[in-house]
Amino acid sequence: MTSLGEQIRARIPYQRRNAASLALLAFAMILTLSAFAEVGLARDGTIPSGLFVYGGGLVVLAVVAYVVQLKYAPYADPLLLPLAVALNGLGLAMIYRLDLDTSRDRKVAEMAGKHFLKDAADVPGQLMWTFVGIALFVAAIMIMRDTTRPDAPLSFTPKTAQRYTYLIGLTAIVLLLLPIVPGIGASINGARVWIHIGPFSVQPGEFAKLFLVVFFAGYLVNKRQAMSLIGKKVGPLSLPRARDLGPILVIWFFSLGVLFMQKDLGTALLYFGLFVSMLYIATQRVSWVVIGLGLLAVGVFVATQLPFMGHVNQRIDIWQNPTPYYDGGCLLDSGKVVPVNPNTDLFKAAKAAGSAFPGQSACIKLGGEYSDSAQLLKGMFALGEGGVLGTGLGQGQPWQTPLSFSDFIFDSMGEELGLTGLMALLLIYALIVQRGMKTAVAARDPFLKLFAGGVSFVVALQVFVIVGGVTKLIPLTGLTTPFLSQGGSSLMANWILIAILVRMSHDARKPAPQSIQDEGMTQIVSTR
Amino acid sequence: MDKPIRRVAIFGMLLFFGLMIQVNYVQGSEAESLRNDPNNARQYQNVFNSPRGQITAGGEVLASSSLTGKDNPKYGRTYKDGLVFSPVTGYFNGGASKVELAYNSLLGGTDKRITHQRWFDTFIGKKAEGANVELALDPDAQRKAYQLLRNGTTRRAGAAVIDIKTGAVKVLSSSSSFDPNLVAPQTGEKGVKVLEQLDGQRGVIQPLIDNGMSQTFPPGSSFKAVVAAMALDELGMSSSSTVNTGPLILPESGNPLPNSHDGGSCAGSAPLLGAFAESCNTSFARIALDAGIQKLHDESSKFGFNRHWSIEPLVKPAESDVPLSYVDANGNKVTTGRDGTARSGIGQENVRATPLQMAMVAAAVANDGKIMQPYLVQKVTTKDQKTLYEVDPKVFSEAMKSGSASQLRDMMRAVVNEGTAKNLIGQNIAGKTGTAEQGAGLPNARWFVGFSPIQNPRYAFAVVTEGSGDGASGAGPIAASIMAQVRRK
Repeated sequence: MTSLGEQIRARIPYQRRNAASLALLAFAMILTLSAFAEVGLARDGTIPSGLFVYGGGLVVLAVVAYVVQLKYAPYADPLLLPLAVALNGLGLAMIYRLDLDTSRDRKVAEMAGKHFLKDAADVPGQLMWTFVGIALFVAAIMIMRDTTRPDAPLSFTPKTAQRYTYLIGLTAIVLLLLPIVPGIGASINGARVWIHIGPFSVQPGEFAKLFLVVFFAGYLVNKRQAMSLIGKKVGPLSLPRARDLGPILVIWFFSLGVLFMQKDLGTALLYFGLFVSMLYIATQRVSWVVIGLGLLAVGVFVATQLPFMGHVNQRIDIWQNPTPYYDGGCLLDSGKVVPVNPNTDLFKAAKAAGSAFPGQSACIKLGGEYSDSAQLLKGMFALGEGGVLGTGLGQGQPWQTPLSFSDFIFDSMGEELGLTGLMALLLIYALIVQRGMKTAVAARDPFLKLFAGGVSFVVALQVFVIVGGVTKLIPLTGLTTPFLSQGGSSLMANWILIAILVRMSHDARKPAPQSIQDEGMTQIVSTR
Repeated sequence: MDKPIRRVAIFGMLLFFGLMIQVNYVQGSEAESLRNDPNNARQYQNVFNSPRGQITAGGEVLASSSLTGKDNPKYGRTYKDGLVFSPVTGYFNGGASKVELAYNSLLGGTDKRITHQRWFDTFIGKKAEGANVELALDPDAQRKAYQLLRNGTTRRAGAAVIDIKTGAVKVLSSSSSFDPNLVAPQTGEKGVKVLEQLDGQRGVIQPLIDNGMSQTFPPGSSFKAVVAAMALDELGMSSSSTVNTGPLILPESGNPLPNSHDGGSCAGSAPLLGAFAESCNTSFARIALDAGIQKLHDESSKFGFNRHWSIEPLVKPAESDVPLSYVDANGNKVTTGRDGTARSGIGQENVRATPLQMAMVAAAVANDGKIMQPYLVQKVTTKDQKTLYEVDPKVFSEAMKSGSASQLRDMMRAVVNEGTAKNLIGQNIAGKTGTAEQGAGLPNARWFVGFSPIQNPRYAFAVVTEGSGDGASGAGPIAASIMAQVRRK
């Protein structure tokens, strides 16, 4: 019986689908340019100059990316690049639209010496990062050569990475730990996930994500035989050997370590889900998933029990019951929530006493844990404002949502594009994930299968964690929304991710290498 | 490895399905409750992001919106002669009162009548603009009234003038008053404070409560118009029926009920017309005693007493009352007794009326017994002059018979020609004076209630001012001047 991959490859006619890709790309560009035009028409009644600068800039970059893909990866999946361009373009339009409303705030913030990323939408910056991102895409496509000839001189393919599994794993850990290093690390909005390099802020976690996928893929490909076959059987579960379980426990502790030190729940969840899913793909054993989820449950339980991790407890409480926390709420040990918002006497008393943060001071006095659900609720209000059809781009008030251009950009989209727009955005993400999964299935090499599968799943999981968070499906944790959120690290990492998938899909979809001779079966030489 | 990849792919899809279901739930089902969440400031801020329509009267723009140059609020609200017109326009600062409240959705452009008409604009994303509201008010007369009321007393004063044939409110004036510019959106927090301060004022002077229709006063002798209507309509009397104008001892307490003077018609007996013209208390107290408080209550109800009604949507004048009983300070229900009935007959005891209500009484007299439903807003037009709403005059009530009204008109003319308001001869107004005691230490409520012109009346009016002295001198001249201005139109 032939494998699914064989079946898919058998059905792929090895066609170049570049015309389809170009048509889709044109559609993505029209979408972006219309978005810019709508912003201008709604606000001033004219086509905005931003259409030519930002929209035009994106079009030029996208065309360059397309030409490179056409030349270096002609068999690539036709959907990946247009989908990424559409997301990036819509994100750029939304940030442009927010920038028009918040640029004054940013100037004020800059004068006060604060960093712009923290304070306001910045469309020139985002266009620059888009340029860098697409440049990385182009560079990655050009550098990564044919997977089937890994030993060709001066070539680097996704497959090459397999050789440096442990080095890459170490790099991922170093990247993750960087924000904790005093001096270069910085805490923004309660999570310590940033480092400052000169004038730029970088979120190394975004890149660590890619390195971790490579590490997991490399490690698991080596160990999968042992992990899936050897082990004691206990009831329906077959337990792994300790030496195979070890690295998993290390990763588990590491995820918790990240969670503890950086207060970055989203990233911890992302890595853990990523690792469990890749473990499952590699070993095909459900028992590993059960063990993984069990460990996660234990980790979350321990985290909620520890006194200095009240943060986690509170996030869950806010998720279930945000109203008392609006503008400030105080979770007491008894589990009761006492509002300490500016309308309360507690707040006024603390303010009268001269506290700079009256809500927090009042809460400390009560002996509770302070938190504020205003972000989450204001995001939800933005969604409510949008309703089914949205207010229309440029006609809502998305700037009322805190972090409307980064963590909450999905809610900003929901306000102005409505349910209709959000469904379209989710479909675009779903298509990227499914195209990636298809690439994984069609890939010929186990390492590449795992790599592509992991990379695709990480997109799905990241979208789920952040979008689920801002729509109150799950407790809110901070992550970037791929391609939409303002921020260079996220854009660069995601464009590299798309480049990897494009390269892999090219390799999977192109015709199989011709046999050197076809006189007789014994003569076939395969590099596979 | 293909099978687990496929399963993970399906799991990934399930994650997206979860998100889609959640987004549908939030934006589809929850949107309405999110929009109305008490913590959601947007519902209050949205109203400042589009220009609100104008409020005009007699070709003058009384309230208009203008850009503030700020993001929030984007539009402010400017009131011309705010102190003069606020009893009708009200204020707007997110919250609203009076016409600003009643026509909020039309002024703000969110009314279905606008959005349906402009569905294409809405479709292409142009916000529907607010409609313009045109008041029935006579702005010059309103100004004159405010000036006269303010000069007439340091305490409260109110005036109402209505067109008897349509119910159009030509003047609705109050002193004290407030300037809605001080609480308009552009004043922000400061405005909210001012409003709180105005709202919190306790005591006699409450600027937010206009004295034209939102404040009641004891009507005193001006209420005799209602008692006379009852006598003519229900008790079979005519203006020439002889009535006892002699001294009256109250049946329960045995105290005398005095007349203001015991000469002239009030010397012992007189025709009803004479007793009315000279405002003899004892005759009207006797009529009330004969009829009983229930009948008096019912009669006054025909004119609009004893019930809540709306002059415009959400705008209710204060309830004028001829109570059958009242609840005292200790929470006990006290029924109006015989003495109380007698005193009610002369507009004292617990009888209360707004100037607007008394103008309606006069309108019934002037309009053959029929009261037209008073209204403030003449019509509403869109920016491009399409009419969205135009008032359709309706009958408020048939308060008295035509013949009785005709006799009562003559009685009111006699008040000016030969009765208590001879100081108003030649002013082309007729009516009834009233001077109500408001309790020990308080000034009188001085009334003049009537119609103008004397022949073929067109307008009914009521003026009340607080102070010492009587209605003829304390309210009459003010009414005469206002009506002179109203008739000029």
